[in-house]
Amino acid sequence: MDDRLRDPREVMREEMLMRDQVLAALREGPQTVPEIAETLGSPVHEVMYWVMAARKYGLIQEVPEPDDDYFQYQLAE
Amino acid sequence: MDYDVLVVGGGTAGMESALTLGDMGYSVVLAEREPTIGGKMILLSKVFPTLDCASCIATPKMASTFHHPQVNTMVYTEVNNIAKTARGSFQVQLKRKATYVNSDQCTGCQKCELACTVAVPDQFNFDLVARRAVYIPFAQAVPKKAVMERHGISPCSQACPAGVKAHGYVSLIRSGLFDEAQELILEAIPFPATLGRVCYAPCERACTRGELEGVLPIRKLKRFAADHYYQKHPQAKPAAVENKHSERVAVIGAGPAGLTAAYHLARRGYPVTVFEAEEKPGGMLRLIPPFRLPPEVLERDIANVTALGVEIRAGERVADPVELKKQGFQAVFLACGTAKDKKPEMEGADLKGVTGAIQFLRRAAASAKPSLAGKTVLVAGGGRYGIALDCARTARRLGAQRVVLQFGRSRPELASVEWAISDAIEEGITIEFHKAPAKLIGKDGKLVQVESQDVQAGKRDPSGRTLPGLPAETKSAMAADLAIMALGQEADPKNEREGLRLTKSGTLSVNAQTLETRLPGVFAGGDLVSGPGSVVEAIGTGTRAAECIDRFLRGEPQTPKERGLNLPGVDKQIAIGRQEQYTLAPAAERTKRPVEERRDGFAEVELGFDEKTARQNASRCIDCGGCCECHQCVSACPADAIDFGMRDEDQTLEVGSVVVSTGFDLFDPVGKVQYGYGRLPNVITAMQMDRLLSPTRPYNSVLRPSDGKIPDNIAYILCTGSRDCQIGNELCSRVCCMYSIKQAQLIMGALPIADVTIYYIDIRAFGKGFEEFYQQSGDMGVEFIKGKVGRVEPTDDGNMILHYEDIAGGGKLAQAEHDLVVLSVGMLPNQDALSLFSGGELAADAHHYVKEIDEDHSPARTSIEGVYVAGSSAAAMDIPDTILHSGAAAAQAAAYVERVKK
Repeated sequence: MDDRLRDPREVMREEMLMRDQVLAALREGPQTVPEIAETLGSPVHEVMYWVMAARKYGLIQEVPEPDDDYFQYQLAE
Repeated sequence: MDYDVLVVGGGTAGMESALTLGDMGYSVVLAEREPTIGGKMILLSKVFPTLDCASCIATPKMASTFHHPQVNTMVYTEVNNIAKTARGSFQVQLKRKATYVNSDQCTGCQKCELACTVAVPDQFNFDLVARRAVYIPFAQAVPKKAVMERHGISPCSQACPAGVKAHGYVSLIRSGLFDEAQELILEAIPFPATLGRVCYAPCERACTRGELEGVLPIRKLKRFAADHYYQKHPQAKPAAVENKHSERVAVIGAGPAGLTAAYHLARRGYPVTVFEAEEKPGGMLRLIPPFRLPPEVLERDIANVTALGVEIRAGERVADPVELKKQGFQAVFLACGTAKDKKPEMEGADLKGVTGAIQFLRRAAASAKPSLAGKTVLVAGGGRYGIALDCARTARRLGAQRVVLQFGRSRPELASVEWAISDAIEEGITIEFHKAPAKLIGKDGKLVQVESQDVQAGKRDPSGRTLPGLPAETKSAMAADLAIMALGQEADPKNEREGLRLTKSGTLSVNAQTLETRLPGVFAGGDLVSGPGSVVEAIGTGTRAAECIDRFLRGEPQTPKERGLNLPGVDKQIAIGRQEQYTLAPAAERTKRPVEERRDGFAEVELGFDEKTARQNASRCIDCGGCCECHQCVSACPADAIDFGMRDEDQTLEVGSVVVSTGFDLFDPVGKVQYGYGRLPNVITAMQMDRLLSPTRPYNSVLRPSDGKIPDNIAYILCTGSRDCQIGNELCSRVCCMYSIKQAQLIMGALPIADVTIYYIDIRAFGKGFEEFYQQSGDMGVEFIKGKVGRVEPTDDGNMILHYEDIAGGGKLAQAEHDLVVLSVGMLPNQDALSLFSGGELAADAHHYVKEIDEDHSPARTSIEGVYVAGSSAAAMDIPDTILHSGAAAAQAAAYVERVKK
């Protein structure tokens, strides 16, 4: 069985589909990447791509102080 | 000579060589294939052993190079060939790749990138995050100008006869930009909802995803965009198009070709009047039955034309187009179609109860529909775009008890899509293939029986369509009350006039380039010229006609329109090859009204997508062309800098000498399967870690790619891809030990509670200050384990168990758990430069680096006199050594230039 991760190109391409869902999840309040993944029902490592892209393009930002080992992310002001 | 020296590659070595030569007064051209100079150094966090900020050192050097008066920096430029001349200089062939962004106008504001709807891996962040198809490489890029990644026209867009940017609207729908998708479609055609229902969808036939698990439902996505928009905007907004031109244009025929021409001419600012002989505009579209194209949908599409101020004079037949010119119309477009049934040459064709397909559909479209209750109907013929099926299904809905469709060819040739046939069969239509009526038998002048013959399969014509086959011996007969003959259409002979003679096939001849008839200023297109064709092809000729008429009225030369500006199409296999693997996700099933609901009514059969289904289906697009041509960047750019008309430009230069500074490649650790790279998300390369540590990092901190956790126990595996005969690189990469120690120190600064362990074979701290740097890291708490890692295995929580040989512990096997593993990947030779030269071989050493033929006494000299190598093109080396080596290469090149000049 091929246990390789999904090709990053394919996951990143889905950002355009998933971005609205990520933003919708954060409208309820700041969340960590695993929490967003649970809301979306998507693999956490794939959600990481979408969250970081949304952050890169200024749609979301991190809450300055991490909660335990994880940063929370919120909609950009 | 155009320049004294060509420097190939704008990394650290290239910049240093160019600056040194420029400072000495030599003219230098620096060719860099990326859109920015800076190489890999600008992507680093800090440099060892001083821990100086890499950006702080590299950025001024990049700016100095770019702005040096003696250095012409050409980014996004490939060197294709270098040939030595007889006098010792070099002839250089360059390709300046099109950026599709005017660099003089681009301000680097990044608004195009923010608007772009295509996400691709960011190579400057080593795929840790996405960038966009149009992008600025990074914040410190020099020059800081956007470039657009375009591989060509996507197959779907290229296949559309009407020039609809299918890839563009699919991408917009994927992104949830539904109105923008509709607006993009409206740039090309006024009939999105119509084509979204009745187009034979050449875009889908071309879709690359068809090579995988199945094509995207592109046609239905167009329908979705239109329906979604029309639901919000049931009335077309009157468009504020200024009549820029005084020349009036007349269009004869309000079918798809005529209305499209009128639409585009109106958008260009011409006053347009459309004359239509029928009571309502639409032409053949009016005859498509409501169960495929509801009339209100067509009306709303036509409103896109009238909203531009186009006047449609329905019920007004034009006797003579020349007369219109006399009335003051400076150009006339004839698009009256082929709205007449061809009369079958068959015994009994004149019987009552025998009708043509158009005649039948026209009656069926009338408000007072005929009843066929209890009748038996025969439909004969096909028509690639479904007219026979339309007749059969309409007859059924008008109450016919039995409907038989006889078609003289095979099933795939009856319709452009298989489901059109199966829909008809579901509704109770009997279809007999390879069978055609031979004789219509009447009683008292009225049809009572049809005698049919089997037809053998014919040979194929060049287009692949089979020619009519010869009749076979087998005959049959059936009683029939009505025979609908769908055996072809022709232009109405009433359209013939002097200078506008119809051909034998019933079409009109025009100049193929200009669409102009023999009458000056009278143009023609659509089915009238091509013969019966598809709606989308008629729309395409309408667009072309508008362009031709515009050029005619402007007095411009009638050159062929460069649709898509002639960018070549994308090779599907290349597009597919960009990914190593695909998740196969079949298209949503075609949803339609249940058969019991549709037999007796004319309600639309095929159902549209909801938003979720539309977006999910659109997201299967693999972005063949890179840029999807959605034009969001065009709208977003405040400097009007986006230029889709740009093309690659070839350039030839003569230079005195060449410095090769093409740098190195990094080992791809996918080849070391035991380390899990590409399989375990928390196994990354050291270059990725350098990006995470950099001020311009892709994440907000050093985080695990698997889940965003702040790692607290990080392992480094040294010599990944170096000193490893298994992967064919026995060399030490010379930098891995020190960059790993550098990163370990930086991690301890960024994550004070993190533990860092370095697994090594031996630490090579050979340079100035290196040993002290190594010792310092130990003092800071970095753990060094002398041991070769055998394999990495995942745990359930995303951590990894490293199995290693504990050499210092006596060679026993041991294991340790970490939550992030960094592979200290080695440097490999970049062999691109070796193939640049013709007429003389640029020799490589045993390890495939560019060979220095006299390394000890004359460093940087290569096997070709006048060509010098700088930096890591010659061997793995660190940044200080690269700077030194580049100085040597520059000095050698300068000396050679002096010799050539003499």
